[in-house]
Amino acid sequence: MSTDSSTGEAGLAARIEGLLGNTAVAVRGALTRPDGRMTLGLTGLAYFLSYLVGLRHLGLGRSGFSLSVVSDPLTRALRQVGPFQWEPIALVVVGPVELLVAPLNMLLGAILATLVGLNLAVSVVAWRGPSACRLGPGAGTVAGLPGLLSGFACCGPTILLVVGVQASAGILSLFQWLLPITLVALLGTLLWIGSRVEAA
Amino acid sequence: MTLGGAGCVGDDGSTTGGGSASGTGTGTGTASTATDRNEGPEPPTADSRLYLDYDIGTLEENVVSGGVPKDGIPAIDDPTFADRAPDLLAPDDPVFGVTRDGEAKAYPQYILVHHEIVNDTIAADPVAVTYCPLTGTAQGFERGAVEFGVSGRLVNSNLTMYDRGTDSWWPQMLATAIKGPLTGESLREFRVTWTTWKRWSSAYPETTVLTEDTGFSRRYGVDPYGQYNEKRGYYSSTRTLFEPLQGDSRAHPKAIVIGTRTETGALAFDKETLLRQRVLTGHIDDTPYVAVADTDLATGYVYANPESATVEVSDDGYTLDGTTHDADSLPLDRSLAFDAMWFAWAGFYPRSSYVD
Repeated sequence: MSTDSSTGEAGLAARIEGLLGNTAVAVRGALTRPDGRMTLGLTGLAYFLSYLVGLRHLGLGRSGFSLSVVSDPLTRALRQVGPFQWEPIALVVVGPVELLVAPLNMLLGAILATLVGLNLAVSVVAWRGPSACRLGPGAGTVAGLPGLLSGFACCGPTILLVVGVQASAGILSLFQWLLPITLVALLGTLLWIGSRVEAA
Repeated sequence: MTLGGAGCVGDDGSTTGGGSASGTGTGTGTASTATDRNEGPEPPTADSRLYLDYDIGTLEENVVSGGVPKDGIPAIDDPTFADRAPDLLAPDDPVFGVTRDGEAKAYPQYILVHHEIVNDTIAADPVAVTYCPLTGTAQGFERGAVEFGVSGRLVNSNLTMYDRGTDSWWPQMLATAIKGPLTGESLREFRVTWTTWKRWSSAYPETTVLTEDTGFSRRYGVDPYGQYNEKRGYYSSTRTLFEPLQGDSRAHPKAIVIGTRTETGALAFDKETLLRQRVLTGHIDDTPYVAVADTDLATGYVYANPESATVEVSDDGYTLDGTTHDADSLPLDRSLAFDAMWFAWAGFYPRSSYVD
């Protein structure tokens, strides 16, 4: 029995290792190609900016050029103001564009943007490349769906105004979990796409 | 008008008097200090409890998360004021005006929507000027040595404040604690006028105005719920973000009423109708009340009128017993009143009369 169990565990570990290895190969392969790098850069940047717009940290506002920083920015940067939202420490105004700088939210946005970009880069390369096999064009869409989830998460309950749904305890609890769910889903889809790519 | 045995309503419509509604305190008109109930100082409370349409347990059961943690919406604890309006403040933008002992201050809605509470000092008196965007209510409270903060909880969509002395929870519109050591006690309130910057600065040219130097980085030009200067978004929609304690179809959910509540009941006047007709009358229990419009500030005042004295509109004010008075100084007992969205008023006070 114990032999069977350890054999099973070893088999599972080998499968996970294979999955990670295959995904790593797929990611590296995608990033060696210009279309892969382009997809990562463009979609990652687009997602990052969308994330900041969704948080209302980026948008059009008063015109001018200014930079204002709060006192004690290090302490402020760690102050949580909502689920996965932290206190902005600076306001940058460049022309008509306003940017609130919340370092931890920028870091989180960059991580999410990278994951979304990698998902789409691997999907695009696998779809267009000669060794792309079982991946259809829908894979890219699937990969982008978790990103949309986090978009809902960052906007908080005010997104409910847009979609016309009344807030409830359940929905508000769900908001708190959307971002971690998004992270897991993005990693999951990346592994799924990686598992379906046949390394050349 | 008398609020309870020892309470009173001042000339400015504010509730005054010390003490504790529940009888557990012994205030004497100044802020209570630490008691055996809690180590922290207490905000001063009124002599009598304001009317509630629900028992406190029911209100507490209906507290919901607003989606932000305690102090996730940060109160302004060190406000700064200027003589000139900030660049973003347009003449028709809403401000919340306060006068006290000759000092006039304006709090722009576009700043308070990001903070909801200003712990301020006016004419040497520590006060809190508060605003709830979801219920459209701006109210003022005496705070003594205590500051108020945003709990992150809502009742009937209404901002639930906490005091940083006892951590009691105070739904803004009720002005009565529903959780914590001060449960059942009501805060002392003062008049806050919802008007526009143009009207306020014309009426009070010497006013100062809250600046954007709040100590926080915010995009103050962005209102997460909509806009008032040409009403849009949440402020005009029939939808509410949270289900009201009780629905009421007597008016549009976001219609603005000027509401008053005493220790025995509540009464609401439709603001648009009041500004058009200038005098409206209603009742709390058997006591007649009269509301008059201040056309300069586009606001209204509510007075108890137990003798049913006739109040008539005249060219330069209101005539009562052959004498003309300004809207804010009729020789009657003024009852503190404030603007509110109808759905919020009706949710908290479903038995309230609605006069339109």
